[in-house]
Parts: sequence; C-alpha cells; structure tokens
Amino acid sequence: MLARIRRWVVRHRLELALVAPMATYVFGLTLWPVCKAIFWSFSNQAGELTLANYRQLFGDSRFASAFLNTVFIVVVGTFSELCFGLFLAWCLARNFKLRGLVRSLLLVPMGVPTLVSAINFMYVFDNSGYLNELLIKTGLATQPINWASGGLRTLLMVVAADMWKVTPSVMLILLAGLESIPEQLYEAAAVDGATPWQTFRRIVLPLLKPAITTAVIIRGIDAFRIFELPLVLAGRNTPFLATFAYDEYQTYHNIHTSGAASTVLLVLILVFAVLYLKAAKEGDDLA
Amino acid sequence: MVKLRKVTALALSLLLTGAVLAGCGKGNQQQTGSGGEQGGQSQEQRTLNVVMGLGEEEWQVMREKIFPKFEQENNVKINAYQVEASQVVQQLEAMKNAGKMEIDLITQDNMHLPVLVNKGLVEDLTEYKHLIPDTAIPGVVQVGEFGGKTYFLPYRPNVEINYYNEAKFNEYGLQPPKTWDELLQVAKTFHEKEGVGKVGLKLNMAGDMVIQIVEFIYQAGGDPLKLNDEGSVKAFNFLKELYPYLNPDSAKADWNTTNRFIAQDSFYLAANWPFGVGIIVRDGGKKEIKAYGGWSGPVKAAKLLGGESIAIPVGAPNKDLALKFAEYLMSKEVQETLAAELAWPSYRTDAYAKVEDWQKPYFEAINEAMKNAVPRPPVLYWDELNKAITDAFREIVLEGKDTKATLDKYAEVVRQAAAKYGE
Repeated sequence: MLARIRRWVVRHRLELALVAPMATYVFGLTLWPVCKAIFWSFSNQAGELTLANYRQLFGDSRFASAFLNTVFIVVVGTFSELCFGLFLAWCLARNFKLRGLVRSLLLVPMGVPTLVSAINFMYVFDNSGYLNELLIKTGLATQPINWASGGLRTLLMVVAADMWKVTPSVMLILLAGLESIPEQLYEAAAVDGATPWQTFRRIVLPLLKPAITTAVIIRGIDAFRIFELPLVLAGRNTPFLATFAYDEYQTYHNIHTSGAASTVLLVLILVFAVLYLKAAKEGDDLA
Repeated sequence: MVKLRKVTALALSLLLTGAVLAGCGKGNQQQTGSGGEQGGQSQEQRTLNVVMGLGEEEWQVMREKIFPKFEQENNVKINAYQVEASQVVQQLEAMKNAGKMEIDLITQDNMHLPVLVNKGLVEDLTEYKHLIPDTAIPGVVQVGEFGGKTYFLPYRPNVEINYYNEAKFNEYGLQPPKTWDELLQVAKTFHEKEGVGKVGLKLNMAGDMVIQIVEFIYQAGGDPLKLNDEGSVKAFNFLKELYPYLNPDSAKADWNTTNRFIAQDSFYLAANWPFGVGIIVRDGGKKEIKAYGGWSGPVKAAKLLGGESIAIPVGAPNKDLALKFAEYLMSKEVQETLAAELAWPSYRTDAYAKVEDWQKPYFEAINEAMKNAVPRPPVLYWDELNKAITDAFREIVLEGKDTKATLDKYAEVVRQAAAKYGE
C-alpha cells in the first residue's frame, strides 16, 4: 500500500508541486480558520465541548433580528437586483448608438470598493443627505427622514445601496444569456405575430433560465455575507449575521458566540452553495 | 522545450510556496532591518517595538517631536505600529500563544484594559510604581490598578467635554445645559424650532454609547455594576424621555463621526473627546463651537475617565528599555509637548506651560470635566457589562420595555458575569 502511494506521489510529483501553493493558501487561510471557528462555536472558555453558545445565540433577540434582516436582504435584494439587472441586460442586448459607452458606465460600480460605495450612499441617505434634501425641496417630505432608524426603511436603504453595487454583475450574467439566444428565434416569433411580451414570456425567459439560476444563486451566497454596507449605513442598530458575528468578536471579545453565529452563516451559505452546484449542473445539462 | 516549461513551472511553484510560508512566518527581520543599520550607526543599537492607536496628526507629533530625543539618548530605534485599541488584544494574544512576543510596549485605551489583565497579556508593574511622579492625578493612576496590583502606568488621561454651537444657542436664547432638566429643555427647544433634534448622544450600540450611559448612571447616583438600583433606573428613564428629541444621527455617532456631526451643524450640542478641538476649531475653522465641562444629574456631575495607559506585554523582549521609554513618555517635557501640540490633557498637574491662548478655554473645559471624572470600574467582566448595558438600552429606550424589569434581568446577567470572574 505504502509502495503504491509512493509510486503515485513520484508519478504525480510535478502536479503535486504545482498544486502545493494553492493548497497551502486554501488550507491555511480558509479551511483552518473555518474549522477553528466551528470548534470555538462548540466549546467554552475552558475548551470543553458544549452547546451553550448555540443556546445563548438562539435565545438572543438580536441574533433573531440579524437572521431575519439577512434573509430579507437575500430575498428582496436578490429579487430586485435580478429584475433590474434583467431590464438593463434587455436594453443592452438591443443595438443603439453609444451602446459600448453605456455598457462601460453601467459596469463602473463593480470597480468601486464596497466600503467606498457605502460612504457614497451615506451622503445620499444621511439626515442632511441628498435624498432628504430632494424630498423636502419637492415637497414630498416636510422633515428629514431618518433612514437608519431601523425597520423596513433601513432594510430598503441597504437593498438600494447593495443594488447599485452588484446589479452590474447580475446584468453581465443575464446579458451573456440573452446574447446566446439565436436571433432566428426572435425572427420566427415575429413572423408568427408574437407581441414583445409574448416573445419575452415564451422565448426569452425559458432560455434564460440557466443564467437566471446562476445569477440568483451567486447573488444569494454573496448577499448572506453582506457586511460593510449595513455597518456603515445602518450602524449597529440593524444587525445582520455577519455584523452580529463581528460585533460579538470585536466589541465583546466573545469568540465562542461569534464562532456560533459564523457557523450558522456558514451553514446557510453551504446550503446555497449546494443549490448552486446543483443548478449549475442542470444548466450544463440544459446547454 | 516541454522539459524547460516543466522546470520553469516547478520553480515558480516552489517560489510561491516559499513566499506563502515566508509570509506566514516571522516579520522580525523586516522590523530590525528598518532601524538597526540605519545611518551607519553603531551595531549595538537596539530596537524598541511600540504599539499605539493614533491618528495621522498624532503620529506626526510622535515621530517628529517625541521619539527622536529618546532614540538619540538611548541609541535605540523605535519601531512604532498603528494598531486600533480593539485589535491589540488579538495581536498580543496571538504572539503570546505563538511563544514569540515581539512588542515591547503598548499604549492602550483605558476602556480596553481589563481584558488585557484578564487574559494575562500584560506584566505586573507594581514594583515600578515609584516611576509615577507625585504630580500625577490620583484617579488616573487608579485606572491602571486591578486587584491591588499596578498593571498600567498613567500616560494620557482623557475626559469628554461638551461641545456646543454658541451661535445657535444665542440665536434661540439658550444657555449650555448644566442639569438634566435643562438638557431636556434644550433638546425640546431645538427639536421644536428646527423640526429635528439638534442634541446628539453617541448611541452607536458600542463602547462609546456605554461610556455615556455609565456617566448618566453615575450622575443619578447609581452603580453600573448593580445596574438595577434607583440611580440606574432614573438614568434609563431619563434617556427614554430624552431620546425622541435627539438628533437621529446619534445612532451613528462615535468618537470619530461626532466631530463631523458637530462641524456640519447636525449636532448643536454633543459630548466628545478633546482631540475634536483641533479638528473642529483649528482645522475646520468653526470658532463658534465652544466647550464646557458638562451637566449634572439629580445627584452629581460625573464624567468617565478615558484616555490611554502604558503597559508592557508579558514576554516583551526589551523590558528594561520599555520601562525607560515609559518613564520618558510620563516625563513633564513629553507631557507638555503633547498638551501643546495635540491638546491632550495631561495626567500631570504641572504640564500645561506650553498651551496656546486659543486653546485655553477648551483646557478649562477639560479641567472642569476632569474634576468630576471617575475611573471606570476596574472589573474584569467589562465586556459582559458592556453588552448588558447595550442590550438594556436597546430594550428600554428603543423597544420601550419596562425599565425596572429589564434592568433586573440584565443586573442578573452582570451578577453572573462577576461571579464567573470571582468578583
């Protein structure tokens, strides 16, 4: 057995050497910290195994709030980004003047660091920000609206900021899907007298399904990890799973509860990741 | 050709692996290399690794006016690193666990001291207490004492002063509030006249907020360690009453953003640390922003003593030199420079000779606040207390739950935390 392993190692030494840097990187900077966080979540300060951290977590109203807020962002945010991204992709799939320039401009938010975009939106949603100024000047509001006061309006503020940042990536995925639909199908639909809505409903949407699935899953995974935007825009009044874990670790130095919150987040992301892999496989089959 | 490609790929791969391993390895060489051979100085020159959490302007003063003299006199190169107070614990813990402490001295935020003692990360400096001069403010020295032992040497006391916009106060015929009743009245008046609250508190659900709540509790004669006594109940009830008249930006106000909110006229009245004087008044030109010592509660005036203290990490490689540097930082000469250049209050009563005229009213406010300053309770369960106060605030003030019942619940949490640490 040992001899076989040795032979295998000798035969694949080059491949192993090539894989080593990435393996070291992934193991050292991803797998090991993740395993450690999971271990912390199931242990106490004395290093004994316990479920107390999870009991504490699930009895904490702030965690429940963080969980619901995160789910809201995933569902509403992803859906909004998908609708808006599809609309933009649909527009960009047409031929019009300056299409290249418009496409480039629409991709700009992808190059802006999340923290910078959060600061930009802080100027928009501040009490003395541009949005309140606009609402007051147009008579839609008499007093500045406190967008960070918590509840639905704060969540919608975060969704709006998140949409600006990530819709271009959704748009790109959907645009690639749209451009892969053969032109002849549109021509055939036109010959048969289909309206634009019928063409969209009966031809575009079904053929775009793999791209939509991919976009939804990729965005879903990403949305679970939302961190900088709510922290900057909403402060700690509106917790999310990632900001909750950060707070437990950073503010209260409680690595065990932080580890438990991170593990819950990891499980949620893994569920999404599994769905993504499944969907991607189905997408390949469809292709 | 194929063989050459394979050899090149293998070499690059090994190089990358080596780089990853080197990156995870020690950074010691880089530190000594930056100072040890500089300027062709003596090979015996030593290196002192120091960790501080300072702003850009503060670093400039340190590097240009504080470090050079010590370096010259002791033939030492100071490698100073910027580490935020909240990160210091993790950094020291990692070095200690790795058995390779590389830091010789830290200056740490007074609000983060107990966890350092609790985790056994700093040296017991009781035998060096004689280095503290007689002119030190006693309360500042007490901040560094835990369980009768001195772990931290005084260096930079700090106390929040109350900034107010004199022009706006004059416009509405108001005076800076000296009592809770006046504070509520001022908050209501601004709210009524401007349509939005103009009094700001730091209610960011983090340490800044807890400092202010603890001050309110002390002002009402309460004890934050009990949390459900009469004074604590009074303090939370008052915050509940005051909250609707506060500026909404209070939720995002911390030690940093408060300066911006004051400078941009979001807040006409707010407490913050004295470093804001340089930013708001000197750099921002907002001369209408004045300061005073603060308001009293139903029982007394009280401010929480903040600032930074000096500590030496357990296993520091140059402990003797670090102690010498600590003594230098505590000297009258250094303290005078820091007061004049950075408007830092001094822990010494004899260090204000170099303060400029325009700064004097603000230093008067600092001294007024310092008179009422009380050290934060030196308990090892501060993190748990911090969380309990934050959660209690959320439930009572934001969610409108019953004050006494909620405080009873969190008083029990605090009691259990105290018991866990044997206090």
